[in-house]
Amino acid sequence: MPETGWGVVRRALRRNRRRLSPYVALLVSWQVCEALVPVVIGLTIDHGVATGDGSVFLAWAAGLCVLFAVLSYSYRFGARFGVRAIEGEVHELRSEVAAHALDARGLRTDRLSGETLSLATSDAEEVGYALRMVGYAAGSLVAVGIAAVVLLRTDLLLGLVILCGLPLCLAVTQVATPRIGRRSRVQQERTATSAGLAVDLVRGLRVLQGIGGQSAGAARYRVASGEARDAAVHVAGARAALAGLAQVLSGLFLAVVTLLAGRLALEGEISVGELIAIVGLTQFLAEPIAILADMSAQLASAVASGRRIVDFLAAPHLPAGAADPAGATAHGVTVSLAGVAHGSLRGLDLHSPPGELLGVAVADPADAQALVRLLAGDAHPDDVVGDVRLGGTPLGDLDVGARRGTLVVVPHRVDLFEGTLRSNVDPWGRLDDEALARVLVASAADEVLALRPGGLDEPVSASATTYSGGQRQRVAVARALAADAPVLVLHDPTTAVDPVTEQRVAAGIHDLRGPNAGALTTWLVTCSPTLLARTDRVVLVREGRVVLEGTHHDLLAHETYRATVLR
Amino acid sequence: MILPIAPARESWHVSRGYLGRHRGVLALAAAAFAVVGLAQLGGPWLMGRTVDAVLDDAAPATITRYAVGIAVAGLLVGLATWVAESLLARAVQPALAALREDVVDRALHLDHGVVEDAGVGDVVSRVGDDVRAIGRSLDLVVPTVVGSAIAVLFTVAGLVALDWRLGLAGLVAGPAYWLSLRWYLPRSGPYYQRERVAQGARAEALVTGLQGAATLRAYGLQDRQVGRIREASWAAVQITLDVFGLLMRFGARNNRAELVGLLAVLGTGFLLVRSDAATVGEVTAAALFFHRLFNPIGALIFLFDEVQSAGASLTRLVGVVLVPRAVEPADTDLEPGPLTVRGLTHSYVAEHPVVREVDLTVAPGERVALVGASGAGKTTLGAVAAGVLDPTRGEVRVAGTPLADLGRTRLRRCVAMVSQEVHDFSATLRDAVLLADPGADDARVRAALETVLAWGWVVALPDGLDTVVGEHGHALTPTQSQQVALARVALLDPWFVVLDEATAEAGSSGARELETAALAVTEGRGALVIAHRLSQAAVADRVLVMDDGRIVEQGTHDELVAAGGRYADLWSAWSG
Repeated sequence: MPETGWGVVRRALRRNRRRLSPYVALLVSWQVCEALVPVVIGLTIDHGVATGDGSVFLAWAAGLCVLFAVLSYSYRFGARFGVRAIEGEVHELRSEVAAHALDARGLRTDRLSGETLSLATSDAEEVGYALRMVGYAAGSLVAVGIAAVVLLRTDLLLGLVILCGLPLCLAVTQVATPRIGRRSRVQQERTATSAGLAVDLVRGLRVLQGIGGQSAGAARYRVASGEARDAAVHVAGARAALAGLAQVLSGLFLAVVTLLAGRLALEGEISVGELIAIVGLTQFLAEPIAILADMSAQLASAVASGRRIVDFLAAPHLPAGAADPAGATAHGVTVSLAGVAHGSLRGLDLHSPPGELLGVAVADPADAQALVRLLAGDAHPDDVVGDVRLGGTPLGDLDVGARRGTLVVVPHRVDLFEGTLRSNVDPWGRLDDEALARVLVASAADEVLALRPGGLDEPVSASATTYSGGQRQRVAVARALAADAPVLVLHDPTTAVDPVTEQRVAAGIHDLRGPNAGALTTWLVTCSPTLLARTDRVVLVREGRVVLEGTHHDLLAHETYRATVLR
Repeated sequence: MILPIAPARESWHVSRGYLGRHRGVLALAAAAFAVVGLAQLGGPWLMGRTVDAVLDDAAPATITRYAVGIAVAGLLVGLATWVAESLLARAVQPALAALREDVVDRALHLDHGVVEDAGVGDVVSRVGDDVRAIGRSLDLVVPTVVGSAIAVLFTVAGLVALDWRLGLAGLVAGPAYWLSLRWYLPRSGPYYQRERVAQGARAEALVTGLQGAATLRAYGLQDRQVGRIREASWAAVQITLDVFGLLMRFGARNNRAELVGLLAVLGTGFLLVRSDAATVGEVTAAALFFHRLFNPIGALIFLFDEVQSAGASLTRLVGVVLVPRAVEPADTDLEPGPLTVRGLTHSYVAEHPVVREVDLTVAPGERVALVGASGAGKTTLGAVAAGVLDPTRGEVRVAGTPLADLGRTRLRRCVAMVSQEVHDFSATLRDAVLLADPGADDARVRAALETVLAWGWVVALPDGLDTVVGEHGHALTPTQSQQVALARVALLDPWFVVLDEATAEAGSSGARELETAALAVTEGRGALVIAHRLSQAAVADRVLVMDDGRIVEQGTHDELVAAGGRYADLWSAWSG
């Protein structure tokens, strides 16, 4: 994994060399052919037109056709290799950003979704553009090399002027590149910020529209977009200065060569024919200088974007171990928390034997959130005091895959994904119709299905907008049950369903995860008396620790419990 | 269904308007590019003069003069390049920024269902990918048009001045170029459209993955989503590669056109020289002139491609901008009056109404609770009553005026809605509240937060009102998030408020706190409270029970419990 912006560019060159080599070779071939066209035109006129010999003329015309064919095919296929390499590289960078952001271990980052999107598109493309310049730059260098060789054979001094002058020009243009890099980075950052804001506003559209905040939101976007615009103008200014500088330098270059060659010709040191050749070649050099300067500018931007990508990819994942839960057997998994402090939790002790359906009634929502975050593995170990064990192994020592396979923690917020109801309930596609029917009934999601003409094959859009909050929650419960995890933690799974349906869901969870379900352990983090009434045991958490435990029925005798769960 | 795409003609028309605002700067940039083009002719011309001077055996000082002239021309080109490119960005970037800002503005004002259907990715790829594509094209188009036009003009003039017959021969290339364009443009157009749509799908896959990351990780589905993102990304790449292949075939056809023209010039020259109608020198000059046309003409021809690519993006941006904007009527005073819903029927899918023929009146200051099974149509009825959703049939009035005639601003002074969805905007807490009324001062923000009992925890936050919340910001509990939402309503201070499960998301323990907050927010205004938590129904002035899209019971809490119907069932389940 590269560590610097340059590293990203270097790796891009390295890992695409199989395509970049033919790209560069064919583009050089194309450049050479382009340079040969006027030469062949001259020869055709000399040997064909001037002599008036028809067959010779036709032969040279045929030669011109061959030259054009080589030229055309070189560019066509060369450029295709190049674009394939560029697009492939951008695709890989995009995939790396996505894979890093979605890593199983969770990511510590402060980037908004829209900002990550901007990294995966705008920044990745900047790196790609640097690859494109490589072909043109190589072509230009070859052109310069040919010119230098021809001139060296004509006149040593002139050859040296070209050979030394060009690197000098390039060195001078480098003065401008750090500024381009800096400004480019600011521009990419601001572009990302405005993209982050746009995504955030669109995601909150319902909330925004409910209070008529559309214009206020749009005004905020205008500010961010305006800053991105100013930064873009700034970058363009720096790039324009570099382009201008390159033009001035190539003008000076031309002037010096003309002066030297003209004087030499006047003094008879070189012939007029040689002068014409020199003048023609030098004129031809203006373009390579501009291309090489442009390449420097693009590289500066690519390195700046590469740096942003590297910084993102360096954002650490949450630490994870490599152990398998040793205590996880067919007899189920023990879950235990001892003296746990995290967030608002203050010395929480909680022990749950295999097969238990446990109600965790939490008076303060902040405690519930901390507990769920902890179990989901989204808490950084540095922020956790105490011991959390799954099947006897500390949670932090577990391999991520093994942990997820044993413990599924369902967040309160429901996310459904584009597909069908079936693909949302059973994304693994492992349940048969009978098992599927069971989880649908248990979660009361069967009623959701019954209202849809397509049944299980009813499409679900990315934001699942045609489903009400209660319907989405029930599909989410169905999915949680379908996961069939040895340990399942559900956080307030029924807040958006009506009381009658909630009773059905409570009974369903009891059926599939209760005493009859063998060794399956289930925790319901909720204050809903309907759910708690169907658990084996309830613990009451107040001020960060367990203060009471017993069955729901027994606990109702306590005022503090009633105050927490009764409505 | 993605958001609308405008017809090409209209897109050009609208975008001319955006660029037109900067036409002064744009004209200056074009003039500077013209200076570049003209000054660039100076170098080669002076070099030619140098050769002449050597042939004439002129004084060395002449050569020096020409060399200085070349340097000055270079300086001029450099300065003009710097000025031209800087100015171009000052015209293009503001125009693009205004366009993308209008797109976001319009998208935020669209029916939320339409936007959600299209997906976040569609919106953000339009203001991201598409704007970038247009920016790149414009950076290329303006200098090429000006520079190449000058080069072509001067070279063609030189060619014709040399020998009109040779010039005419060169014209043979014209039809070849034309055929090439006619082959290419109709083929590539659809590709660009598809490419941009695929980029939208790619953005959608990434953003939904990021937003749903917690759930994906909970079930170990994250790798599958990364796979989907890769697929979407590769689908877009594939189209890009396909259209590039086409572009290269187009390029080959243009090379062919160049060759045809060149051979025509040489062939004509051959015949002319053989019949002593032209000199070898003239033919040489003509052929080289013609060769010099290759680059500028090639650049001009490829502009059609750039224009087509940029056009595909423009149609997507303008498509959103052109969605008709609701007319804001004059802000006349309204006397507070009841909120009435008449004959409301709404279906998301044709023939499957979720609300059927509902009538409803909420008097000013009256608190009405709406209860029923989930999926009964409560949210839909609430959204229509709040003017957030346009119903399939039926009408909503406030104080006798149809909501549609109120205009956005006045509508929200009359009715606001707190939706079931909780969203913490990524902003400071102050800004999150101010979305309801950007002009409010801190005292009013504080008062609003005090109303919903949130001030206590807000001052306890590390940065108080300046604490950044939302995605990756300070994590609010669901209770706190909804308090912020309720605070927005308090700040807005509408006559009526629709609360859609405003206390549900918090979970049961926080819900009681929120109920108190909700009660405070509804104090003194008409309220339609959609609630599964029947404690809210119990304190309402009136309770409506919905089932399968209809209101099936209504009355006070006590009346309904006594009546022993659906409400009584729900109540007994609730108080279980």
